Amino acid sequence: MANFVIALFLGAFFGFSLNKAGLTKYNKIVNVFRFTDMAVLQFMMTALVVAMSGLYALRGLGLITFPNIPATYVVGNIVGGLIFGVGMALTGY
Amino acid sequence: MKFILNYIRKDTWSPYVAGILLGVVGILAVWLSDSLLGASGAFENIAGMIGKAVSPKLFDNVYFNFIMPPGFTYGVMLLIGVFFGGMIGAATSGTLKWGKKDSANSDEQWKRIFGPQTWKRWVLAFVGAIILEYAAGIAGGCTSGLAISGGMLLAPAAFLFIAGMFASGILTALIIYRERY
Repeated sequence: MANFVIALFLGAFFGFSLNKAGLTKYNKIVNVFRFTDMAVLQFMMTALVVAMSGLYALRGLGLITFPNIPATYVVGNIVGGLIFGVGMALTGY
Repeated sequence: MKFILNYIRKDTWSPYVAGILLGVVGILAVWLSDSLLGASGAFENIAGMIGKAVSPKLFDNVYFNFIMPPGFTYGVMLLIGVFFGGMIGAATSGTLKWGKKDSANSDEQWKRIFGPQTWKRWVLAFVGAIILEYAAGIAGGCTSGLAISGGMLLAPAAFLFIAGMFASGILTALIIYRERY
């Protein structure tokens, strides 16, 4: 139950940050593929760098253990990514 | 303090600031509840729940039994949070609109490329969303669940996915926009 409350709060902040970065708008998503507005990449990469340095630091301190990392199966990941890109450029998800 | 309040009211933040916020959320998700920020999985959980109720035979396969078991999961709760978080974000910047017909299709760039009809936007969003969800099922996650959450654990799958996503995204945008690219 506590886990669900945490999920709700984290989700709210997740949605909030997406909204404020403008990633809920069609033009932001498509323009990253046209190289005219790099907000999506800036947002994603900042999140990645912050989270990965934080997580690895916390693991180094022994405060957390990592959950199951997403499985690597090369063909599936690449083919999935290729199809995903089509949908992303179409809808602006 | 006033500066912070004014910043919250801004419509669009610097993507770096918003990215830092998401990064912190990603850390907290692992720290507090030992899970990742997956969004697309929740749709499959719900779809599985509906499918099992409507036609249990059709949904009695490996995917819905073991890979994406139906049920009210952590991801579903997260998704509800995302929905309200997005609304709060829009409300704080004063762009939240209720039930206005044209607000479903207010994107100038979209209208320039695809025309002004709102139904077109609904159809394309629906078709595109099917493609997205199917692809997320193949790859094992979406932008948030695989690319960002996997990337922050340095999972190779995430970077393969990002490479594929951008390769075909750029190609699709080229095809749609052609000389307007």
